[in-house]
Amino acid sequence: MQIDPRRHLPIYLQIAEAIRGGVAAGTYRPGEALPSLRELAVTLRVNPNTVQRAYDELSREGIVEARRGLGLFVAERAPSDARPRAVEEVRAALERGIRIGLAAGLAPESIAADFRQVLATATRSIPSPVIPAAPPKLRRNPKEADA
Amino acid sequence: MNATFAPHAQVGPATPAPAHSPAISMHGVTKRFGTTVALDDISLSIPPGSICGLVGPNGAGKTTLVRLLLGLERPAAGTIGVLGLDPLRDALALRERVGYVPDTLHADRWMTGAEVLRFCRGLRRHWNDTLATRLVDRLGIPLKTRVGSLSRGTLVKLGLVAAVAPEPELLLLDEPMAGLDPLAREEVVETVIAAAPDRPWTVLFSSHSLDDVQRLADSIAVLVAGRLVHHGATDDLLTAVRRVRMRVDDALPRPLPAGVDVYGSQRSGREWTLVIRDGSGGAIERLRGLPGVEVLGVDPLSLEEIFKHMARAPSGRNEERSQS
Repeated sequence: MQIDPRRHLPIYLQIAEAIRGGVAAGTYRPGEALPSLRELAVTLRVNPNTVQRAYDELSREGIVEARRGLGLFVAERAPSDARPRAVEEVRAALERGIRIGLAAGLAPESIAADFRQVLATATRSIPSPVIPAAPPKLRRNPKEADA
Repeated sequence: MNATFAPHAQVGPATPAPAHSPAISMHGVTKRFGTTVALDDISLSIPPGSICGLVGPNGAGKTTLVRLLLGLERPAAGTIGVLGLDPLRDALALRERVGYVPDTLHADRWMTGAEVLRFCRGLRRHWNDTLATRLVDRLGIPLKTRVGSLSRGTLVKLGLVAAVAPEPELLLLDEPMAGLDPLAREEVVETVIAAAPDRPWTVLFSSHSLDDVQRLADSIAVLVAGRLVHHGATDDLLTAVRRVRMRVDDALPRPLPAGVDVYGSQRSGREWTLVIRDGSGGAIERLRGLPGVEVLGVDPLSLEEIFKHMARAPSGRNEERSQS
């Protein structure tokens, strides 16, 4: 697990994000114990209160659960809870990007083309019907081109 | 300015709830050196069990504040309480309960590390040998070397062990990371976390490294030219402050709508960039609602960027500097 104090995201959210991702990816499995507060705080070199906040957040989401006297465990039904959350985050990030593009005057089709290109690069996938091999060139809003 | 802060969570359900009286409380504290005002009307309250990072440009008054808490300086005005005691009247009682690592460590150069620790141990009523040994091993402090030939990093680690071994209720660290290489800095951060006793302890440390503040501190206190310009939860600050980029067709309406407080603004042609103090309370919507204004982007800032804006901002609100 890595945290970066230079990121703009509070550290407790970075920890929650990492564990949520770990549960979704299967590095933490349902029923497994999570590291103790002190243990994780020392490993990541962060304040134990910050780890507590991350664990509180994950408990609220139902991804981890406390067992009396034993500590925190990944909830049995965690993976199915973690996935919708990931979908939510992807949508939020996409929406942010789309808004930036629209505000800059890019046409929706050009944003969509960029999206496919970025997705193709990120997944290094072979061309498929959904992801065209040669994405159309980035075009400005025609109205603006006329001006 | 009055600033109080409540930690978001106690350390684990097993620890008893700490007493409600603050570990550190300052009310209207002013300190002058001759005609120079070093600290100006400081009110600050730090609850037990929390870690506070004190930041500010050089000469902002950080060292003076720490020295006031130890009773090493006398305030010109105001009251100071440390663990419920008066630092001037109860200085000796306080020494037993407070650990202190000054910015410059004074130790006789000819003493070895082991001798320094033995000397400090003799001054204290309580000393946890197991903890001291564990930390010395972990930090790899050479105990047989004379301190005169130790690096600054090793010296700070030695000072930290001497401050922590008596298991104080309050730990005061004056720029512990200054001048340390990145590895030694990490070790100091780790020590402050690993040495924490099972009961809550309070830590106040001053630092120039916002990275370290974000790792360690529950709350951040910002001193600029002797004034406390901010004290609050570190995470809340990251969530609140936002940079808003917008296109302004004519002139930006003055004054800005109520609730839009800015640290500063920059203008280049029609594009304005405002750094607003709190983007959560509808401030961005209010900017969006202005005629002839289009919000192009809203971004979070890193703690370091926020600090720089605070340090540069004039003390009044809604004041701006324009660069065109």
